[in-house]
Amino acid sequence: MIQLKEIDKYIESRFQRVFILKGINLTINEGEFITLMGPSGAGKSTLLNILGLLDEDYAGEYFFGDKSIRKMKDKERSSLHKSEFGYIFQAYHLIDELTVYENIETPLLYRSVSSTERKSIIANLLDRFNMVAKKDLFPAQLSGGQQQLVGIARAIAGRPRVLLADEPTGNLHSGQAREIMEIFQELHAEGTTIIQATHARENADFGTRLINLVDGRIETDEAIAK
Amino acid sequence: MWKNYLKVSFRNLKKRKLYSGINLLGLTIALVSFFVISLYIHHEWSYDRMYSNADRIYKFNQEFVSGGEKQLVGTTPSSLVPTLIEEFPEVETGTLVFDLSIFSSVMVNAGEGNQEESRFAFVDENFYQVFDFKIIAGQRASLLNNPNQLVLTESTAKRYFGSAQNAEGKSLKINDQEYLVTGVMENFPSNSHLDFDFLASFKTHRHGKNPEWSPSNYYSYVKLRADADLEQFKAKLPKMVEKYLGEAQKENGFETAFYAQPVTKIHLGDQSLSSVKPGTDIRYLYIFGLVALLLIAIGIINYVNLATAEATERNKEVGLRKVMGADRLQLFGQFVSESLILTAGAAVLSLLIIYLVAPQFAKLGGVPLDLTLLFSVPGILALAGLVLTVGFLSGLYPSVILSGLEPIKALGNKVKIGGGAWVRKSLVVFQFFVSIGLLISTFVVKTQLDYMQEVNLGYQKEQVVALPYHYNMRKSIETLKQEMLRTGAVESIALASDMPIFIKAGYRIFPGGDNQNEFMITGYSVDKDLVKTIGLEILEGENFLDTDLSRTMAYDSSMEYPVILNESALQQLGWNAGEAIGRKVNFGGGMAHVKGVVKNFYFNSLHHGVGPLAIFIDPEQANVLLLRLPAGNPAVHLARLEQTWKEMAPDRPFNYKFVDQEYAQLYRSEERVGAVFGLFSGIAIFIACMGLFGLVSYVALRRTREISIRKVLGATQHDVLSVLSADFFRLLGLAAGLAIGFGLWFTDAWLAAFANKASIGIWPYLYAVLIVLLLALITIGYRSWKVYTLNPSKTLKSE
Repeated sequence: MIQLKEIDKYIESRFQRVFILKGINLTINEGEFITLMGPSGAGKSTLLNILGLLDEDYAGEYFFGDKSIRKMKDKERSSLHKSEFGYIFQAYHLIDELTVYENIETPLLYRSVSSTERKSIIANLLDRFNMVAKKDLFPAQLSGGQQQLVGIARAIAGRPRVLLADEPTGNLHSGQAREIMEIFQELHAEGTTIIQATHARENADFGTRLINLVDGRIETDEAIAK
Repeated sequence: MWKNYLKVSFRNLKKRKLYSGINLLGLTIALVSFFVISLYIHHEWSYDRMYSNADRIYKFNQEFVSGGEKQLVGTTPSSLVPTLIEEFPEVETGTLVFDLSIFSSVMVNAGEGNQEESRFAFVDENFYQVFDFKIIAGQRASLLNNPNQLVLTESTAKRYFGSAQNAEGKSLKINDQEYLVTGVMENFPSNSHLDFDFLASFKTHRHGKNPEWSPSNYYSYVKLRADADLEQFKAKLPKMVEKYLGEAQKENGFETAFYAQPVTKIHLGDQSLSSVKPGTDIRYLYIFGLVALLLIAIGIINYVNLATAEATERNKEVGLRKVMGADRLQLFGQFVSESLILTAGAAVLSLLIIYLVAPQFAKLGGVPLDLTLLFSVPGILALAGLVLTVGFLSGLYPSVILSGLEPIKALGNKVKIGGGAWVRKSLVVFQFFVSIGLLISTFVVKTQLDYMQEVNLGYQKEQVVALPYHYNMRKSIETLKQEMLRTGAVESIALASDMPIFIKAGYRIFPGGDNQNEFMITGYSVDKDLVKTIGLEILEGENFLDTDLSRTMAYDSSMEYPVILNESALQQLGWNAGEAIGRKVNFGGGMAHVKGVVKNFYFNSLHHGVGPLAIFIDPEQANVLLLRLPAGNPAVHLARLEQTWKEMAPDRPFNYKFVDQEYAQLYRSEERVGAVFGLFSGIAIFIACMGLFGLVSYVALRRTREISIRKVLGATQHDVLSVLSADFFRLLGLAAGLAIGFGLWFTDAWLAAFANKASIGIWPYLYAVLIVLLLALITIGYRSWKVYTLNPSKTLKSE
């Protein structure tokens, strides 16, 4: 589904290139649940951003299906971005001015989903995450775990095939973290491809594959035994 | 989608109260100013367009050429209209208006004693065929067909008879002549150049029965046929002049011509032409229009500045929306809808405010504002167009900036919006350039106006009162003079044809026997006491004597009468003061000799220099008493004089005018420009300072941490102020420099209209710049004080 070939990402400083990612070769198949681990600065977030088409400033080749991202037109890339990817952030990144309901609705609006369809999708999500009573609250009125649930609901509202999560449990205590991971597992079971970056080894156990990044290189890449 | 945009916009505006408040207030004030000015301009523009076929109605002006000098006047002879109707197939109909108020007021008696009225005119029977004003009572076709018929305007009819219906068929005594009220018309619209209370049939007047080709005292209008060729019509006019005036021209050595002027061009046309109502200089309309656009621009700039400054605070939201799949157009829509909402809100608010301020502005601008216009279909369309334009322009730049952010960078730390700073700075410079520029202009206008009020006119206008009298009182006027002098409440009294502030009558003059060197001269008919009363300085020769009066009164054409000339007249004659005395001139068709030379004094608007003037003695032409009051309270003196007046002329009202106040009236339109400039420059400064406050607030917010650290390190309040203000003052300095450049240009352009210029000096510039800088300093100072007083432990902890 996704294939990265010789991906380099570097910052040009005055005297030398500082590599953030170097020589990344990676193939991701549909239905995998991948965990990226590694110390801070290893390039986990950068790799996620590149995978999610949020960062286009890199060297190397990125194939989505059999198409090269680099050869796509802006429009194609943007519609691919809209239809295939969902994002979850460590700091939740909800829009403060919008209610729970509206935050979940936003990606649907940008996908021009009809009003009735939007309502039913959001109703299902709220139901699934037990947030029906909280739909009219603003993010500031929710706990961190609840905010991240909204973040997940928002990320999957558009039914993306790939879910990208950058330290999704980094700001949560272990109970909440576990809850989030179980939801990921459910989504994975439903067929969503998930790629998460994390510091916590225990989170990797929920996935199918563990990739260790050190200094911008893939150090190990192994399947998780069930 | 739009519902979502609106909702988000509302919440955003609500959340950022300071920012929204400043924008809303700025836009509202700008829109109010814009609406008010637009309504004013529309009013001036709409003059005389309400008559059906207004495009076919023309007024005639007459040009006199003599001695190589041209003079165009707004009046024509009484024969012109009948001749045009008779001899020109192009003319459908025509009418003549004789505005009596130029010469004198009338006494109206409805059975309860005389009342003085000034808005009285004779018009001929075609008046209502040319100008189709509404007739409220009476038959349009037969209103003024016979002598001694009268039409009243609605408000006059109400004043005298209670209602329009009541007035029809009643009679009024005007100047002891009985008139029958045959009809009542609507009040003259405020945007008609015609404006009277009483319209009497011209057949009552001597010229109505026997039209003549001299004098030129009448306004003439014709309505051409729909199929008439204007150019052909104009081309035939000289032939008519030759036919009727050819001989007179040859005899008196002048040439004349008639020019047709579209009725819609009277109000904004050549301001030197006399008309029933004073017109408006079209350049002032352009200036006002420009000011309106500048104010809107300042309001828009506030929005743009604050929104881009704020963009740094909103980058997270923008980044998120992009990550969630928003494309640039969708984000653009969101931000533009925000500015549209704000603008629409400001428009609604400004309409409310206009309702409140319209009466005040009507006073200031001198015209009523037609607010119903705002709610007519074109008005609403224009309003909607304005809101869309302003909203779009305001939102455009911030939207482009915000929607162009890269999501990853936007999600990270606060981004610095590089391009924005440059644009923002230019906009601030522009705002303050306009503010300072307007303020300089205000001061320059004010300096010139003050100068005109204080300039030495060459005579004393203070403590001088003008008292118009009716020609009926001519026989007893000498007795009245003597009686008034005896009360001791007046130092000296003179008879005159005009107040000295503005002498209008034009005459021809040439040195005796040399009619090749003829030129136009202003004539002032007075008596011997004028020199004493207004304090003229005789340079050479002497003042008139009583014997001069009797000589004039003898009306013996073989005799010469004495004139006193001013220095300009002498200069034009090519004589010096010494040799002039006793020399002969042909003045106004008779022989005269120079009796004295008077020092130049201003007898016209200061727009013009002092032209040639001849003062002569002719009580027949005098219709005003000039009284020099002794020192002390004028009211006391006037009360005593009124008593004497009442005894001598019980049926005439005692209506006096202070000459210095009338003088101030001459510059009313300039005063108006000054006031409007003052008002709107104040508004511009206010909006600009609000914007500055907003900008400084954002800078302060962004640099709160830095300032707290500085404070911990020992920075004083003054240091904080200079940290925050250094950048802005550099911009203000640049704006001030540009504004001074503009001011220099404006000073030249504005003063070019005056023959007598005040010396402007550097003060208007200095004041304007200092005032604006001071206000800016207060604005920034207040903000920096707020930041300074924050507790550093709090601000630093939050990071």
